[in-house]
Amino acid sequence: MKEQLKKDFDNNIKNLNLSQKDIEIKKFCLDNFIEKGFPNRKEEDWKFSDLNQLIKNNIGELSFYNDHTSTNKVDTSVFVDGLEHNKIVFINGRIEKIDFEYEKKDQIEIIDQSETINEFKNSNSLSDLNNAFTNKCFKILVKKGYQLIKPLIIYHSINSKIWSKNINLRLNFELDKDSSLRLIDLFSDTSEKNFLNIFYNFELKENAVLKNYKVDKFENKNIKYSFNNIDQDKNSVSETFILSSGSKFFKNEINCNLNGEYSSAFVNGIFSLNNDKHHEIRTIINHLTKNTKSYQLIKSVLEESSKAVYQGKIFVNSDAQKTDGYQLSKAILLNKESEFNAKPELEIYADDVKCSHGSASGSLNEDSIFYLMSRGLNYQQSRELLINGFLLDVVEKITDSQIKNLIKNMIGIKE
Amino acid sequence: MLKINNLNATIDNKSILNGLSLDINPGQVHAIMGPNGSGKSTLSNILSGKKGYEVSGEVLFEEKDLLELETEERAHKGIFLAFQYPLEIPGVNTNIFLKTSLNAVRKARGEKELDAIEFLKLVKEKSKKLKFDEEKLNRQLNVGFSGGEKKKNEILQMSLLDPKLSILDETDSGLDIDALKVVADGVNTLRDKNNAFLIITHYQRLLDYIKPDFVHVLMNGKIVKSGGPDLALELEKKGYENFN
Ligand SMILES: Nc1ncnc2c1ncn2[C@@H]1O[C@H](COP(=O)(O)OP(=O)(O)O)[C@@H](O)[C@H]1O
Ligand SMILES: [Mg+2]
Repeated sequence: MKEQLKKDFDNNIKNLNLSQKDIEIKKFCLDNFIEKGFPNRKEEDWKFSDLNQLIKNNIGELSFYNDHTSTNKVDTSVFVDGLEHNKIVFINGRIEKIDFEYEKKDQIEIIDQSETINEFKNSNSLSDLNNAFTNKCFKILVKKGYQLIKPLIIYHSINSKIWSKNINLRLNFELDKDSSLRLIDLFSDTSEKNFLNIFYNFELKENAVLKNYKVDKFENKNIKYSFNNIDQDKNSVSETFILSSGSKFFKNEINCNLNGEYSSAFVNGIFSLNNDKHHEIRTIINHLTKNTKSYQLIKSVLEESSKAVYQGKIFVNSDAQKTDGYQLSKAILLNKESEFNAKPELEIYADDVKCSHGSASGSLNEDSIFYLMSRGLNYQQSRELLINGFLLDVVEKITDSQIKNLIKNMIGIKE
Repeated sequence: MLKINNLNATIDNKSILNGLSLDINPGQVHAIMGPNGSGKSTLSNILSGKKGYEVSGEVLFEEKDLLELETEERAHKGIFLAFQYPLEIPGVNTNIFLKTSLNAVRKARGEKELDAIEFLKLVKEKSKKLKFDEEKLNRQLNVGFSGGEKKKNEILQMSLLDPKLSILDETDSGLDIDALKVVADGVNTLRDKNNAFLIITHYQRLLDYIKPDFVHVLMNGKIVKSGGPDLALELEKKGYENFN
């Protein structure tokens, strides 16, 4: 892998107009990655999901150079119908389209940051990999007081031109005071065996509201990692919803720093997995000042030999009095081979806090199935009704009603 | 309509029904009375197709072997069980459930499925008759319903599905006298020469409102005595002890 990385790195650098200093930084990151390699089970954060093994077993040899000199055709059939929205389209990691057609142009600034490498507060080697290979990085700045009229959908498409590739993406968002953004990440893949490595950084100023919905619904054999860092000022709100379902492997990591008083973070998620899929949600919520709140609800429906992991950490520092932290996970295991792992962690250094966590898993209730079938529903219908009913309260946590309906439709919850 | 012949049932090697026989013809109302643990719910469950029992003997429904049918096929053919303990199903809207159920049964019977408007009209009409709070139709199925509301919901489902054989498993327990009358009314309006009822109860109280043609006493998984409506009164007076 080392030779491949070096060769691909040199190829990549050739096409970029970088200063000597930036090249040095990227080289440094590359060397870091080469030294550490992909995360493996020996690392605490990866003990349930050995990425190194997963890549070995499912992809084999990866290559890291992506030819971004020519444009990809945008397949408009993947665009969401019936919901007016702004778009950013990534195809094979290349930005093909940025379109804020519904917004006041002077209220959103798109800043090219390709030449600044910002450090992520994430010690794993994937941020080094990302730093070394991303060649375009934009910051989207929503100006003071501006609330986007329509949601932004970021399309992450991987088409059949590539195979066994690593794709790295990076985006930064700044929501200035009193601004708001609804952001949907929608994944659609028509190619197999690639590894997508995404880093987002969000800065939420006072009163800003971010709603990020990550939708991995469509069947695919790719491996994905996504890292959100969210920094929150006073009174800001972040709402993250994850529908984790389509990919072979997907690990979503949310690191949220509640820096300002009365800021709050909500992370809700659904794992709906079959076959031998393996997904993880890892959250770290840092309550860093007083009167902050976090709430997390994760529900899983696991078929066949699929596996879901939820590692949720709530950290409360000594200044963070009156913290309110809550997390709950529930799983339905539809098969003896399926597996759910929950690892809650509470690290609390303040005394006047309210923190709780819980986790439960079990199989589908046979008595309920019998009840529904005795009313004429067949087994399949009964099962579907029970599962959708089980998932409903997480979906109901979505505060945007249009997007809630979109996601209900995707899951097949009828009204 | 229903012929039960020497029915035996065990669960986990524990024998619950021990050679039970019973014939029910169209137009008849049968009551089964018996102490706790005598096997009343087990009989209801087995007739509705609940899994997990080891069953032997014969059960014919309209001359066909009932025991080999799936639970939902029995519902399609017209068997209905009002549960002793109706289940709470979180996240499932009552109206959607009722419509799905009704249309599944109608479809299997070769009848036209109802659209949303037709269905709502029907369910409102039936709810009114049963004094079932319509607001409950938009709630999650049985979640947060009182005991009485759950039982009324069972009777609502029964009246929607218009079954041939309705089994009421202790529908009367936990009901106040008004609710009891409503339930009895529901049964009496449905009652005609083509359908039949098997009313399982603990007390003879319900039988003041639903007049049975036959009363059977079930003890230790077996019918120990059968008779007319008077048998219920006799039971009430003497207690079960004297029937062993
Ligand atoms: N799932 C089960 N497993 C073991 N024993 C059971 C089960 N269901 C019922 N029983 C036993 O079978 C007997 C009859 O139960 P049931 O049919 O519920 O009685 P009833 O409805 O007349 O009160 C009781 O002794 C009960 O404990
Ligand atoms: Mg009982």
